[in-house]
Amino acid sequence: MTVKALQQLTTGRNGVGAFILQCKKMDIHYCDWAGSSRGMNGFIKSILPKFAAANPQIEFVVSPRPSKHPVVIGHYINGREKAICVRNLEPLQILKKVELLRDASGEKLRKVNKPVQSVNESVRGVWSPYHGNGMAV
Amino acid sequence: MPKTARPKTAVLAFQLAGCEYQPPAGDQTWTGQLLAARPGAPPASAGALRPRCVASRPRQLCLSARRQQPQQQQSAQETDADTFDVLQDGTDHARYPPLERLPASVAGYPSPLPERALKSAKLAALHARLSLPSKIPLQTLARALVDGSADENPQFNNSNLAFVGHTLITYHVAEWLMCHYPRLPMSIVFSAVQAYAGDKALHQVARSWGVETAAAPGGEVDPGLLQFSLDKPTTTVLKFGYKRTEAAYLEKFKWRRGISSRVVFDDDFGGVVKSAEPEEEQEDDDLEEAEEGLSPSYTSYGTDKTRQIAEKVHANFARATIGAVYAHCGREAAKAFINAHIMSRTLDLSNLFAFKHPTRELALLCAREDFDHPVARLLSETGRMSRTPVFVVGIYSGTDKLGEGAGPSLDLARFKAAMNSLKAWYLYSPGGNVRVPSDMLVEDAKPWEPAHIDIGEIISR
Amino acid sequence: MEARLLRRPAATCCHRLLASSTTPAASLLPPVTLQFPSTGARHKSTTNRTKRALNIAPHASFLNKPSATDRIIFNPPSSAASVFHTPFKFLPKTDPRRRANLTSLFASSASIQFNSPSSSASDAAPAPGTTEDTLPPKIGGRVGRTHHMTKEDVLEMRRLRETDPVANSVNRLAAKFGCSHLFVLMCCQAPREHKEKHVAAGELVKSRWGPRRRAAREDRKRRLEMLFRGEL
Repeated sequence: MTVKALQQLTTGRNGVGAFILQCKKMDIHYCDWAGSSRGMNGFIKSILPKFAAANPQIEFVVSPRPSKHPVVIGHYINGREKAICVRNLEPLQILKKVELLRDASGEKLRKVNKPVQSVNESVRGVWSPYHGNGMAV
Repeated sequence: MPKTARPKTAVLAFQLAGCEYQPPAGDQTWTGQLLAARPGAPPASAGALRPRCVASRPRQLCLSARRQQPQQQQSAQETDADTFDVLQDGTDHARYPPLERLPASVAGYPSPLPERALKSAKLAALHARLSLPSKIPLQTLARALVDGSADENPQFNNSNLAFVGHTLITYHVAEWLMCHYPRLPMSIVFSAVQAYAGDKALHQVARSWGVETAAAPGGEVDPGLLQFSLDKPTTTVLKFGYKRTEAAYLEKFKWRRGISSRVVFDDDFGGVVKSAEPEEEQEDDDLEEAEEGLSPSYTSYGTDKTRQIAEKVHANFARATIGAVYAHCGREAAKAFINAHIMSRTLDLSNLFAFKHPTRELALLCAREDFDHPVARLLSETGRMSRTPVFVVGIYSGTDKLGEGAGPSLDLARFKAAMNSLKAWYLYSPGGNVRVPSDMLVEDAKPWEPAHIDIGEIISR
Repeated sequence: MEARLLRRPAATCCHRLLASSTTPAASLLPPVTLQFPSTGARHKSTTNRTKRALNIAPHASFLNKPSATDRIIFNPPSSAASVFHTPFKFLPKTDPRRRANLTSLFASSASIQFNSPSSSASDAAPAPGTTEDTLPPKIGGRVGRTHHMTKEDVLEMRRLRETDPVANSVNRLAAKFGCSHLFVLMCCQAPREHKEKHVAAGELVKSRWGPRRRAAREDRKRRLEMLFRGEL
């Protein structure tokens, strides 16, 4: 007779309340010998220390990958990863790529048609043909 | 083919030396390659990797005699390179240098030593990702990551912190619900508290923080990983409640548990407090697993049981983190953290209700509140003789409309209208800016205005 | 067809006037309801005509009525009422919304005029002057309790039910004493053999059901449970 309770679960939205940077780890691979890594070596020497200091949320792992092009791999909280090959790029260009990886959400790229996506119910309610007086056409 | 070295993670000296770059920011990993792989550089560059600013290191916590002893041993043995082997597995350590230089004795401990927390890049990144205040040392965060199933010693696992965190979370969720929805029935309150602070929700919170799990617990594990064991789940009781004497018969004979007794005896979600050591069940499960020939820890996604354990462990980590915030930064910081990470989640309270006799319950409500007897009135209809009719029925008390609902038959529409009326009663809220009792704990708080307290449920069990 | 051809230019002209001008003359024109016959098809012969047909004028409440002062356009879409909007009657005595809404506090009656466009808002104030007569029709039988049964009535009912449960069925007793069948069921107990016979007859009927009817019955029961869980 009394009211019973159903079990539901709260849904969280990143940025509502607290924001968690989605990029959690970045692998930076370089080669000491190859020419395509010249910019990457410069990036590691000059720019990366400052970048790492400014982004403590991200775990940076720098490791050599001899005879291969330099690569930056971002690991994300949703379990996905994104890799960008930065061969023959200048340090500042690599910085752009690294910033792109840092700011990415880790989701697959997809076209967003609706400007707003919300879990909240519309304050105006869902339109229903059975309510209100309608309008004669 | 050039030699490939495994990636090395370490802490660079410049990251710790600078004034502007302190832990947790200072614990970024770095490769030893640039420093160590040079021909002239000392092997392992132990001196360069050691943090210079010892004075600014956060104070180490919970160091018992058991752990201080190996620490001294370690400092004595640091010069001896032979003792740095992590595992004696025949790996060529000259070619594949280990990720971290560890004394051989760490393998004997169930969880990583507290001082290793200062060197873990994952831990520092997690600390920064959660925007935790610098007052919380990395050692405490490392302790929050050790479950009771990994290390049974309560001085080194997170059970105490998780208990504090659980109490704080349920307190804040419950007071928020009580002040914002004063008419909610107790069963709905239990359900709502579980939706915010239950294992499932906190598991999602912990996962959204990006915490990774260790494959198996042990002393050599990176302190930034969540450590737990699936084989021997923790038996620590983390919830407050009384063990019912008739607990064994509740399931067996489907005995009734009234809401009032749930408030008194059971845990914060109205669930029965289970006995701390479910040994019989465990034996049965072990037998089943042996029959299947498949241990749950070796499947890719695990069984239902292992997932349940992992869920609980993740939730306890989230609770322990909040307990750590409370222990180091105080009440207000813990409340702000809970508001930011838990109370900000969305829950539609109107989805929690399941009715049985809504029309009778509404009639009882109107009788109790001295309203006129509720009357169903047909507001509009379409297609009465068709296959898909729609009726819109409103429930009126006197001339006031209490609610309305649409349905494919007069009865269904009437039930729905009664349900909507009851929900409108139960979900009354005095407004969005109601103060909760914990707001009074800050200094120079305005005088307390009494919150609205409802006279009680319509039908109580 | 001829009538429609004639009507269209006039209607579009009227429509343009309404949409573009704010002169009093325009607002005096009849609303655009005469633009198309209400029985018309959903599509016209050509795309252009269909497009023009679907391009209807805004609702009258959006049109600029000339007025001396600024005003608020209140034109909510038609939607089911949200349960988070507490009806006025359910507000507690101390709630500030009750004191702020003086008109409904003094008005004696009904929440909303049944035909008003805002009939979706269940928290709307009772419009003054609404009486029981102006409300929509009741559904269901008698409602409320009358408490007219005496102890002798109940004893008589029990005696009748025990002596001849077939002739004095629950519904007949309810009609005879003017109470609900639930009340009869609460008072009386049929003899055991009658109950068993009744149940057996029901089982016999159910056993004759085919798969379709049985599935339909089960679905109906399941739908009711879904409704009570709020899933419908």
